[in-house]
Amino acid sequence: MATRNRTVVYRRHRDAVKSVRAPLFSSASGSGGPVIEMASLLGSNRSSYAPLSTEDPGPSSRDAFTVGLPPSWVDDSEQVAANIQRARAKMAELVKAHAKALMPSFEDGKEDQHLIEALTQEITDILRRSEKRLQKLSASGSAEDSNVRKNVQRSLATDLQNLSVELRRKQSTYLKRLQQQKEGPDGVDLEMNLNGNKSSLEDDEFSDVGFNEQQMVKIKKGQQEREREINQVVQSVNELAQIMKDLSVLVIDQGTIVDRIDYNIQTVAVSVDEGLKQLQKAERTQKKGGMVRCATVLVIMCFIMLVLLILKEILF
Amino acid sequence: MVLISAVRDYINRMLQDISGMKVLILDSHTVSIVSVGYSQSELLQKEVFLVELVDSIYKSKEPMSHLKAVYFLRPTSENIQHLRQQLASPRFGEYHLFFSNILKDTQIHNLADADEQEVVQQIQEFYADFVAIDPYHFTLNMPSNHIYMLPAVVDPSNSQHFCDRVVDGIASIFLALKRRPIIRYQRNSDIAKRIAQETAKLMYQQESGLFDFRRMEVSPLLLVIDRRDDPVTPLLNQWTYQAMVHELIGIQDNKVDLRNIGKLPKDQQEVVLSSEQDAFFKANMYENFGDIGMNIKRLVDEFQQISKSNQSIQTIEDMAKFVDKYPEYRKMHGNVSKHVTLVTEMSKIVEERKLMLVSETEQELACNGGQVAAFEAVTNLLNNESVSDIDRLRLVMLYALRYEKESPVQLMQLFNKLASRSAKYKPGLVQFVLKQAGVDKRTGDLFGNRDLLNIARNMARGLKGVENVYTQHQPLLFQTMESISKGRLRDVDYPYVGNHFQQGRPQEVVIFIVGGTTYEESRSVALQNASNSGIRFILGGSVVLNSKRFLKDLEEAQRIARSSTAVI
Repeated sequence: MATRNRTVVYRRHRDAVKSVRAPLFSSASGSGGPVIEMASLLGSNRSSYAPLSTEDPGPSSRDAFTVGLPPSWVDDSEQVAANIQRARAKMAELVKAHAKALMPSFEDGKEDQHLIEALTQEITDILRRSEKRLQKLSASGSAEDSNVRKNVQRSLATDLQNLSVELRRKQSTYLKRLQQQKEGPDGVDLEMNLNGNKSSLEDDEFSDVGFNEQQMVKIKKGQQEREREINQVVQSVNELAQIMKDLSVLVIDQGTIVDRIDYNIQTVAVSVDEGLKQLQKAERTQKKGGMVRCATVLVIMCFIMLVLLILKEILF
Repeated sequence: MVLISAVRDYINRMLQDISGMKVLILDSHTVSIVSVGYSQSELLQKEVFLVELVDSIYKSKEPMSHLKAVYFLRPTSENIQHLRQQLASPRFGEYHLFFSNILKDTQIHNLADADEQEVVQQIQEFYADFVAIDPYHFTLNMPSNHIYMLPAVVDPSNSQHFCDRVVDGIASIFLALKRRPIIRYQRNSDIAKRIAQETAKLMYQQESGLFDFRRMEVSPLLLVIDRRDDPVTPLLNQWTYQAMVHELIGIQDNKVDLRNIGKLPKDQQEVVLSSEQDAFFKANMYENFGDIGMNIKRLVDEFQQISKSNQSIQTIEDMAKFVDKYPEYRKMHGNVSKHVTLVTEMSKIVEERKLMLVSETEQELACNGGQVAAFEAVTNLLNNESVSDIDRLRLVMLYALRYEKESPVQLMQLFNKLASRSAKYKPGLVQFVLKQAGVDKRTGDLFGNRDLLNIARNMARGLKGVENVYTQHQPLLFQTMESISKGRLRDVDYPYVGNHFQQGRPQEVVIFIVGGTTYEESRSVALQNASNSGIRFILGGSVVLNSKRFLKDLEEAQRIARSSTAVI
């Protein structure tokens, strides 16, 4: 696809106009200064969401245009973004830990379990905190850039939701593989765990001697541990489900009318229009309001009475 | 695909090199251009957190200097004025200006004068000046489309505006495709000739450096034709999904507005019908109404299965699975509701207006049938109380276009009957159509009754019978495309501009219909492209017509023609 850059022509003309205007100002800096500044700004590498706060107020001729600091909610949104990055890094670690735990090993694997639990807990915490902060975002700030805020919220909400979905998916695959693995060597055990009654019958049937005391204890301990693991994973799944439900309200459905740019511009215009009409109506009713008239009449009466009182005092 | 991906590429390039929070400022035309190709969520991913219109009077004066402004506008004088005002008191930190077409030097100088604060970082021309509604179909959404029916002397300045906008649109298509075409036009249409010549002047003389692309062995072809060569297609009622929705309800920029049609839940009042985002629509947009009904039923059944399985949640695992699939489920739910709503509404309208009856006669008029039978059928329908005014008008028009010369007396009878039955009918409209698009004015063989070969073909088709009597009509465009594919487009009817000449067959063809395209024609083009004939066709027009819009254009043109002194 063809494009054409007209910036050179534009700059040339702008500088020509400026040099015509420059003799009128007493500033020292020529046309070279601002151009170099602009170039350096363009060249610098910015991370996302970075505020534009590094530009100096410029030579005295450009007094009108100073760059202000961005509003405070930008800090919040940056924090959420940073959290999301951290969560992503932790998820990569979690994947590695999952893989390591699933590998057959001679050790007990307890520390792997602990590591996985700790990581999962951390990630869920980060996600929950980010989500809370995101909800706060809408409350703060002025009305002027409410649209910008809303859109920043939406974008971060989408990212958070994607992360939650990813985490849940990884957890469920891990859980599934865990169950499969444990089923392998201890097939009978697992069956006993799930189908309580049936297995006890089988147990009695097979032999009275059957499993002696030692084996029973070991089996029970294995069961409890597995139950604990599975319970924990399930609990974190539930937490994440809750987060997802909250976030889904903020996220846009792709392919629907809400995802159309022209629809969003229209609704802004319409709601501002409506707001204006409501304000005007309120103003009118207030002006016409009997309340205001009553109040003014009463105040005038008060003054009159006061004057009469003073007169009475003076005359008598 | 090629048109939509061109627009998306342009927008991606605009946004990717600018880091940080951005605000995108569009004008009323570029809003449509951007909205059909790019979604709000994609903008958010590119860190565009605010979208505004350049002429929005609700704009606050509060500066937001932490945002960088990206402007994407058409290079009109109003936009330049707005820009000048906004550059004089800048609200944003940086300004990046992108224009959808060629800028004049004076416009650049005007902007440079106003930019005292030196906030503009770049000015570029990104040639996305068309609305890419389907992969091979674009439109220009022109407001006063009816101008093309009037001779230039009636309203010279508006005619010039019209031609300029069309030339700009066509130029941007070829700049986006990076090709320079050979240009042919319809001989007997003045406006087509004018547009073709002005386009040639732009591409080969005024901006020949810009258009100087690498030459392939075969140049592409630009064919500029006039709507009035085929007035039948926009008048017919349609029975394939996309065309039918536009005909009965109306599609604008791939959006359907259902607010006037009965009581609907809030999220179904405006829906999106885009083949890029909706897989069901993509598979069914060219299917006829009967098949659509069956496919929708299948879709609803599938959906019911899934929701039933969602209701039986027993274990934690089921719950996990449910939460996992919830976004997909919600999306499917929305999609199914949308299609069911559309088909229901359309069925209602078909029932009310007795369209099956009317359309049968329409197709007979357009395709085959004898004059006597046609006259009888039209008279019967005119007498039928439940047929609406607009349908009566269409029937008489179709009859008049077909049997113009054969029996003037009966034609007069029909006119009188129409005038007496329809209260809102503006007298003389049918005569106006005949004057504009009558058999003397047309180049193509619209009804296949001009030469012996076509007559024989028609008779053979009549004997063989048709699969579906409601979709038997083929637009004239189909024949034109066939002629181009065989390299047999007659020079006499479609001459070349200047001293161009084409050897052999072109591999890329852009057909521009001055006055508007229809969805039936875009369906024809899509099916032709899918048939892998080695040639890629792209269709474009000044608007997308349905019968209501076409009749409105005719009425407007008639009104102006009557009131002006220099009438044809």
